[in-house]
Amino acid sequence: MKALKIIILILFASVMIYAASDLPYRGDPDNLMHAEESITGTKVVGSYVIQEAYNDAKTPNIVTVILGDYRSVDTFGEQVVVFTAGLITILILRNRRRLT
Amino acid sequence: MLDFFLGHYAYWFVVILMCVGLYGILFKKNLVKKTIGLAIFQVSVVLYFVSIASKWDATVPVRDSNIPVEQVANYLNPLPHTLMLTAIVVGVATLGVAFTLLMAIYNRYGTLDEQELLEEIQ
Repeated sequence: MKALKIIILILFASVMIYAASDLPYRGDPDNLMHAEESITGTKVVGSYVIQEAYNDAKTPNIVTVILGDYRSVDTFGEQVVVFTAGLITILILRNRRRLT
Repeated sequence: MLDFFLGHYAYWFVVILMCVGLYGILFKKNLVKKTIGLAIFQVSVVLYFVSIASKWDATVPVRDSNIPVEQVANYLNPLPHTLMLTAIVVGVATLGVAFTLLMAIYNRYGTLDEQELLEEIQ
């Protein structure tokens, strides 16, 4: 059982390092993720957001614009997740106090 | 060769951190230590996304009137930062639920060791 775990760990590490050797260099401005247009000629979402965020929402912080304006419904769902987690925590802890 | 190393060493550090987290999940018997391993694994994924979003000679994605916004190369890509903000929040929430469940398990069975717990349940 222990040998199986060690084999899994080494296999995982070697697969990850092999996959990392195919990645673009870190911070290279020429790689495809930072380009203005993708291979098919459409605009990449990241560069569109950098150029148009201030015109769309009049907020200087681009991350705030994405979180609060473009993805506002998504952020609302995330807050529901946090609220549910807090509710579960309170319910479990209260249940413990009633038992003892 | 040196160029390859300088371009990739950040990813290798992330892989090492990931292996530390996986080691904690697989080998540790204490459930609290297992949860800590899970948290380290999560942090390594966040670090990977932040490191792949970096760009040399670029500023943070906050609009500065001195730096022209038409040149995309002047600003970092803001999308990975936003997604990782979401991932951190959800990760903290799930970690809190996990620790609460561990507290409930400890109050019910009096132990957090995996083997002892299996014997107690059977």
